[in-house]
Amino acid sequence: MTAAKRLRTFALIGVAVLLLAVWAFPVLWALLTSFKTERDVLAYPPTIVFEPTLRNYRDVLFGSASILPNLLSSTIVAGVSTALTLLFAVPAAYALARLEFPGRRASGFYVLATQMLPPVGLIIPYYLALQKVGGLDTYWGLIVIYLTFSLPFAIWLLVSYFEDVPREMEEAALLDRAGRLRALWYVILPQVRGGIAVTTIFVFLNAWNEFLFAVVLGGNRVRPVTVAMFNFISVEQTLWAKLAAGAMLAMAPVILLGLLAQRHIVKGLTVGAVKGGGRT
Amino acid sequence: MTATAPAGRVSMRGIVKRHGAFTALHGVDLDIEPGEFFALLGPSGSGKTTTLRILAGLEPLNEGRVMLDGEDVTEREPGERDVAMVFQSYALYPHMTVFDNIAFPLRMIATPRDEVERAVRDAAARVHIDHLLARRPGQLSGGQQQRTALARAIVRKPRLFLLDEPLSNLDAKLRLETRVELRKLQRALGVTTVYVTHDQEEAMTIADRVAVFMEGRIVQVGPPRDIFARPASAVVAGFIGSPPMNLLPAEVRNGVLHVAGVELRPERPLGRDGAVTIGVRPAALRIAATGLPARVYLVEDLGDTTIVDLDVVGQVIKLRTDQRPSVREGEQVHVAMPADALHVFERDSGARREL
Repeated sequence: MTAAKRLRTFALIGVAVLLLAVWAFPVLWALLTSFKTERDVLAYPPTIVFEPTLRNYRDVLFGSASILPNLLSSTIVAGVSTALTLLFAVPAAYALARLEFPGRRASGFYVLATQMLPPVGLIIPYYLALQKVGGLDTYWGLIVIYLTFSLPFAIWLLVSYFEDVPREMEEAALLDRAGRLRALWYVILPQVRGGIAVTTIFVFLNAWNEFLFAVVLGGNRVRPVTVAMFNFISVEQTLWAKLAAGAMLAMAPVILLGLLAQRHIVKGLTVGAVKGGGRT
Repeated sequence: MTATAPAGRVSMRGIVKRHGAFTALHGVDLDIEPGEFFALLGPSGSGKTTTLRILAGLEPLNEGRVMLDGEDVTEREPGERDVAMVFQSYALYPHMTVFDNIAFPLRMIATPRDEVERAVRDAAARVHIDHLLARRPGQLSGGQQQRTALARAIVRKPRLFLLDEPLSNLDAKLRLETRVELRKLQRALGVTTVYVTHDQEEAMTIADRVAVFMEGRIVQVGPPRDIFARPASAVVAGFIGSPPMNLLPAEVRNGVLHVAGVELRPERPLGRDGAVTIGVRPAALRIAATGLPARVYLVEDLGDTTIVDLDVVGQVIKLRTDQRPSVREGEQVHVAMPADALHVFERDSGARREL
């Protein structure tokens, strides 16, 4: 290895460590905080060495302000909206990638354009619309609203994966008498597994971490964990330790999902990076 | 073969294909006999692959009819035509094993399991990949992938094989071997085969008959020997043969041919006076004491034959000979052009002038 090369490697490692530190610091801080008593949290200067406690976890799980129902709420909202998104986005993306129909380009642009809207601008119209149809504080109401964002995003993401599958692949399947649906199921879908995994993660993450719509359009019945955690911050006091414990618990399912799909994600992300956006 | 069985007779009538303002095919007519090995030959962009894809039903057409065994299949889906295709890229399903790839067309028509097993092993054995059935396409060499695609095509005994440049991704040596095997396989199976290639040598050696495509039209159809011996136009003449026919501008005046300042008097009548293009195969030319004055431009020694590039009034023509000629580059020589080896084409239309 030449000196210049070695220097480059060191520089790269240095930058990576720096980035990791910036990313990891708040997470580690929250992790530490979740094991502190509320008194230790407010100690100044902050204590690194302290007597750890599991009280916060016990409280947020089984106490009067248990977030277990909220975790369930989040799971339902994120799970169902992810499932529905995939159910509609996969065939839609396939159609956009393959079929020639009038307005194909325009619909592709529309899908992208919805991603450019600041969500906050839609809060009031969504609120009024849901109120009219009785969808406030209901699961289906919140899920429908999430679909309006996740569906265009998922379609846009999946189209590039479908476009990476050579056309000849399904032409061969058509000649082999598979028909469109079986060609899609047996030949095309297995080849875009990575893309579907990546899309699943992104859509689920967005729904799981969503706060703005959940706090406005949800309520007492439907209160995802993000909203519940926010309630630890009140006018009189902020329960930092419990908030941190809640955050740790809320992160767990997402991390689990990420680990399960990691192989697909890494593969999927590189495919997207090298070939993605190659819409002709 | 009985008259009722799907024999694989192809008939295309007046096929027109347009891409916007560009016309890819200007009314193609094509008849292919049952059991024939038929090549569609032409340079890239000449419409040969489009014709094949229209035959397969993969490409919609603007005008014309496609008939298979007397049935109009123009409106039929690809899967309803009973044709199998080998793509240039092979289009193997990467997530399936070789076995599953070959079995796919059978499984799509709900073939019993033991019959699938037997048919796949039989097809694989025919193309010598029966030891690779458990692998995935990514673990195969290019030649093995090509054979897998071939096995997938033959496994369900279609009435028509469509091969789109199936050898173009193989290296030169393997291409020659596979060419021979492909021909033997087709003879053994007796299935009508339509074969697209831009390689004239491949088409000439493998096919019973060849259709030569130029700019969206079929310019000549016939057995390779006929096309070689009597090219229908100057363009075909300049495309067929390796190296292809030499073409030189010439003029007919009072029954005498004027080429590069030299007069040639063939024994046959040359037809009416006017500007023509004359063609002569490289193997018909000889270096001699008299004839066209030329300068030796380059000597290409191919081992058993030698190709001499000659500069005749600013145009390079090629001479091929089995004997090593004793000429050096830059030397002034004369080239004899036997009159009976001459082909004469109209200068403006390029059409062959029958002598």
